[in-house]
Amino acid sequence: MKKRLLAMILMLVIAAVTVTACGGKTADTGSGGETVGTTDPGTSGGADTKKPVKITYFNTSAEVNTMFENMFKRYNELYPHVTIELIPTGIGEGQQEKLQSLYASGNAPTFMNVDPANVIEYQDHLLEFTEENAPWLSLATDGAVDGGTFDGKVLGAPWSVQGYALLYNKRVVDEIFGKGNFDPASINTRDALEEFFEKCEAAGVPATMLHGANWSLGGHYLTLVYAVQGPKTEDGTGFIDKIKSGEVNIEDSPIFQGYMDTFDLLAKYNYNKSDPLVADFNRDAQAFAEGKCATFFMGDWLWTTLVTMENIDTEYGFIPVPWSNDPSLYGNSEVVMVLPKFQCINKSQNTPEQQQAALDALGWMLTEPEGQQFFLDAGFYMPYKNVRDDIEYNSMTTSIAEYAQKGKTINLGVFSYISGDVWTETGNLMLKYLAGAIDRDELAKGINDYWRSIR
Amino acid sequence: MNRKNKLLGNIGNFILFMGPSLFAFACVLIIPFLYGIYLTFTDYSPIRITYEFVGFSNFRAVFTDKEFWQQFLKTLGYVLYSTIFCNLLAFILAYLLTSNIRGRNFLRAGFFTPNLIGGIVLGYIWKFIFANVVTKLGETLDYQPLKTSFLTHPDRAIVAMIIVTVWQYAGYLMIIYIAGFVGIPREVQEASEIDGATGLKKLFSVTIPLMVPSFIICFFIMISRGFMTYDLNLALTNGQPYGSTRLAAMHIYQKAFQANEYGIGQAEAIIFFITVAIAAVTQVLLTKKFEVEA
Repeated sequence: MKKRLLAMILMLVIAAVTVTACGGKTADTGSGGETVGTTDPGTSGGADTKKPVKITYFNTSAEVNTMFENMFKRYNELYPHVTIELIPTGIGEGQQEKLQSLYASGNAPTFMNVDPANVIEYQDHLLEFTEENAPWLSLATDGAVDGGTFDGKVLGAPWSVQGYALLYNKRVVDEIFGKGNFDPASINTRDALEEFFEKCEAAGVPATMLHGANWSLGGHYLTLVYAVQGPKTEDGTGFIDKIKSGEVNIEDSPIFQGYMDTFDLLAKYNYNKSDPLVADFNRDAQAFAEGKCATFFMGDWLWTTLVTMENIDTEYGFIPVPWSNDPSLYGNSEVVMVLPKFQCINKSQNTPEQQQAALDALGWMLTEPEGQQFFLDAGFYMPYKNVRDDIEYNSMTTSIAEYAQKGKTINLGVFSYISGDVWTETGNLMLKYLAGAIDRDELAKGINDYWRSIR
Repeated sequence: MNRKNKLLGNIGNFILFMGPSLFAFACVLIIPFLYGIYLTFTDYSPIRITYEFVGFSNFRAVFTDKEFWQQFLKTLGYVLYSTIFCNLLAFILAYLLTSNIRGRNFLRAGFFTPNLIGGIVLGYIWKFIFANVVTKLGETLDYQPLKTSFLTHPDRAIVAMIIVTVWQYAGYLMIIYIAGFVGIPREVQEASEIDGATGLKKLFSVTIPLMVPSFIICFFIMISRGFMTYDLNLALTNGQPYGSTRLAAMHIYQKAFQANEYGIGQAEAIIFFITVAIAAVTQVLLTKKFEVEA
């Protein structure tokens, strides 16, 4: 009997320990939040009168987790009553799934940095930015908020601009053509591109490189076909709607045929031709940066990978990916400019105080000089009018900015609608085509079937 | 009175000792499982605020999802081959390492080590080997089939997965087989030797029949783990080239979380669960028939 009593007591102790261990977390954060408020009140004006607020931030730009961490630390120094907790994600770590689980469990992050497609998906949960609650958003450059606007409501605030097209290595091209003899603007037809490639090959340099991953070929290359349908986002989405309804087939579009002809050209001179689907990003980046090939279909985010490498070239520029032989047509002399990420605030699972704190923090991050400096130091090009203009960007971003100044950019607003598994599925078809497993008719049929299969 | 007390005491004991684990088991397994079945009849999505009851339409969608069945067949093939080769290799290793080979403890530890590395790490290691080391080898030997990566061709990528799976689990199954070998009573072995059974004859007529319990366990482990493979799949091929190596588990995951078709993904998961359960139970029942008493 004594033994049983002992066992029972032991079990109770264990149970008690587990229960308190589980509960400990919430108790901890509560008291932690309080200490922030009580120990150093009033380091900034009026902070002592405010109630401590704790908000969470979900970040899908995995390469800059530390940047956000430092930013929030500084923000907490300025405004001690606001504690921002970063929920970081890793590259390829299942970011969408993590966000979904946070929402499903009722722990939606107060604000988050996500893809434009997510803004559409989560629009019912998101706080609308208005003149009253976010006056700072009027500082955004013209058209920058369009990508985060749905049904006339601004749900996402932009913070960076990126671009993609054919990157070229300036040193390699200079060696082939002689210094200063190459004008990127001269590549505005497919024939001009082919001539350029032939010259590279004649000089013994492989002309181009395709990264054999579905996000590059499906998410970026194939998306050009929709985006170049017209300068407005609706032109692209309208085209997709017509494919969905069966009104048109993608192969009927001369733009599709044109881009696929160019794709054949790229595949013909592909540095990775012998084994095109390896898709080792670091290896491709290294090969390009070491000048083993002249051009690379990629975007300026490549820079963040390159800075970690040694003995590489630093001067790059963009040339367009022409789809026809008429230089006046849209898309032949333009490069893609895209707002790849947006900042959104959740209204469905956070208190008004938390939402207000997130609004204030966003305003500071995006439009106050001190907040902007964090982004600028990380090499981002910010679409805000009040960004200081004495910043030296890397050569890739500079090249995109030059195209933007000349108005020579392709509007990739349609990218917001390339959500879910669109780019994985259509990208896989592109990979099959690149590997020669299917021909162009089968590719087109696959893309049509895909669009018609989704609800 | 006394009997009633005893019954109460038994229930008390049961709750005392089984209660906590039963509670945990119910929380993380039983309840989510039942809730999951319920969700297959709805158009649930973590993103949308409300969801509705849609009857059997998710299951109908599964049967028209051609890709799911394609990948399902591929998974069956993957499980079949990895089970066969893994057990074969493990058995041979165990056979060799229970004989008087030099340094057998070191070798046992060596073969077991891959199992201690997680599937994700293993996947990345082998990805590097297949993409860089093997291709380099092909170039050095000037042997065409090795020059391109295993992972860029649909059929060879599955072969690559089977190779890594066999490498990963062979050591683990080897330990079970070694235990089986060691567990065979000496007197039975000696008796068979006195009766004149030697070498292969002894292996097939005495050793293997007595080791059926080990086979049951090893086959069960390989079949259930093979079907569930996700981490290795993710790290080694991630479904590449062009989606041809997405095993069933990965397909379900992508359907639910990337295509945002949660109901369909969940329905596929239920169908998949039933298949795995049937396969595993059939295997156990079938192999149990071969069990003999020493």
